[in-house]
Amino acid sequence: MSDTTRNRIMLVIAILMAAIYLFPLYWMYITALKGGSEMFATPPSFWPGDPQWGTFGYVWESRGMGRYLWNSLVIAVGAVTLITVLGVGCAYVLARYRNVWVDIGLFMILMLQVLPASLMVTPIFVGFSQLGMLDYPRLAVIIAIAAKSMPFFVVLVRATFMAVPMELEEAALVDGNSRVGAFFSIVLPLARNGILVSAILIFMQAFGEFVYSKSMIQAAELQPASVGLNSFMGPNTNEWNNIMAYATMYVTPILAIFVLLQRRIVSGLTSGALK
Amino acid sequence: MKRILSSVRDGRGFDITLVAFPLAFLFLMAGLPLIYNVVMSFQEVDMFSLGTFSRPFVGFKNYTDLFAQPETWPILGNTVIFVVGSIAGQFLIGFGLALFFWVNFPGASWLRGLFLVSWVMPGLVVGAIWNWILSGDFGVLNFILKESGIISSNIFWRSDPHFSLYAVIIANVWLGTAFNMILLSVGLSGIPGDLYEAAELDGANAWQRFWTITLPMMRSTIGAIIALGLIFTLQQFDLFAAITSGGPNNSSNVTQYWAWDLSFRQYDFAKGATISVIMIIFVMFASVVYVRSTRHEVRG
Repeated sequence: MSDTTRNRIMLVIAILMAAIYLFPLYWMYITALKGGSEMFATPPSFWPGDPQWGTFGYVWESRGMGRYLWNSLVIAVGAVTLITVLGVGCAYVLARYRNVWVDIGLFMILMLQVLPASLMVTPIFVGFSQLGMLDYPRLAVIIAIAAKSMPFFVVLVRATFMAVPMELEEAALVDGNSRVGAFFSIVLPLARNGILVSAILIFMQAFGEFVYSKSMIQAAELQPASVGLNSFMGPNTNEWNNIMAYATMYVTPILAIFVLLQRRIVSGLTSGALK
Repeated sequence: MKRILSSVRDGRGFDITLVAFPLAFLFLMAGLPLIYNVVMSFQEVDMFSLGTFSRPFVGFKNYTDLFAQPETWPILGNTVIFVVGSIAGQFLIGFGLALFFWVNFPGASWLRGLFLVSWVMPGLVVGAIWNWILSGDFGVLNFILKESGIISSNIFWRSDPHFSLYAVIIANVWLGTAFNMILLSVGLSGIPGDLYEAAELDGANAWQRFWTITLPMMRSTIGAIIALGLIFTLQQFDLFAAITSGGPNNSSNVTQYWAWDLSFRQYDFAKGATISVIMIIFVMFASVVYVRSTRHEVRG
């Protein structure tokens, strides 16, 4: 068997496996386009006979999705900004030095990373309500997400900084740059891509965050899209085409970002988590 | 004052400033809640004492009350099933896929990356999709299983207490498989190729090469991935909220959902904190295993 035939066969099998794996995603898009009776037909149709494009506009209007997505965006952008501002410097220092203190710091950061949000939300909620921070629920959620996700960001960005040769920075210092100058004009530009990819990963996580928002944001007009989707799915719902249309509009921007930046995201992810 | 300023601009002070703020933030927002959680698990907390710090201490009463409740042990059992089932499924399917994509063919790395969409999607959306796929009367999974002759009548995945936990496990396996596969691929690509050449010259077949080279060389990767899987599985909350809400009758409830349910549905914050403390000890144990198996990376 020649190499090209083998490659073709492998590719066909790979595409087949990807198709099976991604079937749930396909089912979401297809269901969103089905009408009320087609949705419950037996046997189910695997291609919409009469695509209902109007569902999207109807769900967008009736569920107030603009507001939900806006809140998701505010929370995600806020969390990413806070994490980036705080986390980049921390990752830089942890990458630059190698001693016992760095090891201890990294160990503690890893420990904080693993605490499940649904368990930490109890003390955070009680503490925040005592401090009166629940009057600004979106800010409270941003801070909670930042505390949860920053360790992950620091670990990823630290791997990026480790790849920046220290000699470059030392050369800048010899040339008369201050530490601040060398950091901003040499190290940061070189690590920019890695920081960007990590920030995008954090953004995608924060955009779909649920536990903190569900627990801390009571006012419906401040809730993000994940909480909106949860309240859309009652226990005995039968509006599955509408729910899938909601899910489609929620998830498609994230999927678009991911498919465009796939290669970088995957390599950024693997460099940090384990090597 | 001037000396401090110049040190911040151009010396050790620069590093200390950079690292002090994030660590202080993490301590305030993650470390303190952790301590507060332990304190609350020894207190009596209700809606009236929620706003004050001076609550009566009750010793281990919350813990003994918790284990006197009839649902506690079944829920702990569910958690074990959920963790073991999810990790086994994710790891085995992920390993199989990683081995398949290890054979280099054009398009392999791009297709492999595509699998990761399951991991970047919001958990609530994944839950919603699986909720619909697993639906009893009109779910497409029941249709496929029936057509292929595996089952003869519809399984009510979400409302049958015998299946509700497995419904969430199926969704969670789907969610985590891609992540397992990507990390295992990284581990596989780190094995030097000449080991296999040598083994082939010695006449080892594919099966023997897998058992004597691949598995031993992957040991630390596998350890790290299983530990990570344990950490992620114990963090899984969204799927429970989206598929079964822990029901029917706690048959699919697990501790991380139960803790939230006690705090925010039944307003029993002390019990919620108590379960949290117990679970956090488990999670920390897992993360020690994880840190140990990636230690060579952490040390740089």
